[in-house]
Amino acid sequence: MIDASTHAKGDDLEFVANAIRRRDAKQGTPAIFFLWAVLFLVGWALPDFAPRWTGPFWLVAGIVGGALSWWLGARDAVNKGDCDVELGRRYGFHWLICGAAFFGVFLPFVLGGDALTPFTAEMLGRQFLLVCALAYGLAALHLERGLAIPAAVMGIGYLGLNVWSPPYLWTTMGAVVSIALVIAGLQARR
Amino acid sequence: MSNNAAIGKQLAQLDKLFEHRVRLAICVLLTQSDRLSFSRFKQLLDQTDGNLGAQLRKLEDADYINVDKRFEGRKPVSWYRITSRGRKQLDSHLAALRQLTQGV
Repeated sequence: MIDASTHAKGDDLEFVANAIRRRDAKQGTPAIFFLWAVLFLVGWALPDFAPRWTGPFWLVAGIVGGALSWWLGARDAVNKGDCDVELGRRYGFHWLICGAAFFGVFLPFVLGGDALTPFTAEMLGRQFLLVCALAYGLAALHLERGLAIPAAVMGIGYLGLNVWSPPYLWTTMGAVVSIALVIAGLQARR
Repeated sequence: MSNNAAIGKQLAQLDKLFEHRVRLAICVLLTQSDRLSFSRFKQLLDQTDGNLGAQLRKLEDADYINVDKRFEGRKPVSWYRITSRGRKQLDSHLAALRQLTQGV
């Protein structure tokens, strides 16, 4: 009788574990993936076609896109019926720290550099890409696995930029990252 | 003390309310989230409205969880949260279960 009872307890724990696995399986808000797919497609084509608009675009797109992502995430949590304040806080801090890192990339450029380290737009672009790759890679590791492929594309693109610089590399990378984000968004939607 | 007697004692320490797997899963899921809706529970636990509603009511009556009914847009939504009493009871139930499974 005791054996049967402990066996039943094991089944109950398996039922609970399955419910938790089901909850953890689907994460990510499709609308956020689609939003950033559009922003990357436009924003990374700019260095090739209209380089002087790249900085202003990302300054506005970074802030507006971040605020919109926060709103879309909160709305999605309510629609799903699953509000996790702690997870929301983790997302918030992750992207806030990444935002500070992006600001750090731009800071020497804004300050004009110095005689020993003159900053060029190309250097800025490379550093921006490296921070993007790290931000997405860490987000894939800790928050959403769907961001792993865009992060890998960014990482490979960063290495590519340092080794050789084929024409329209930024546009190509923007297109590949956008496609990866759309795929991740469609997977999160299912 | 024989092994069977020890297991029997550990079984007696378990919370009767958590003997139903759906009630146990509800409380465990609520420790993972700030609040969950009725429809989210239905999706995660694959239960009928009637059964799920009955189990939630039992936990509510025991003050293990509380419900907040409100409108999200035009849709009425029941949001559930675990209470501090529910969390405490769940912790001691899981500790007893852990001992039990380690002893098997």
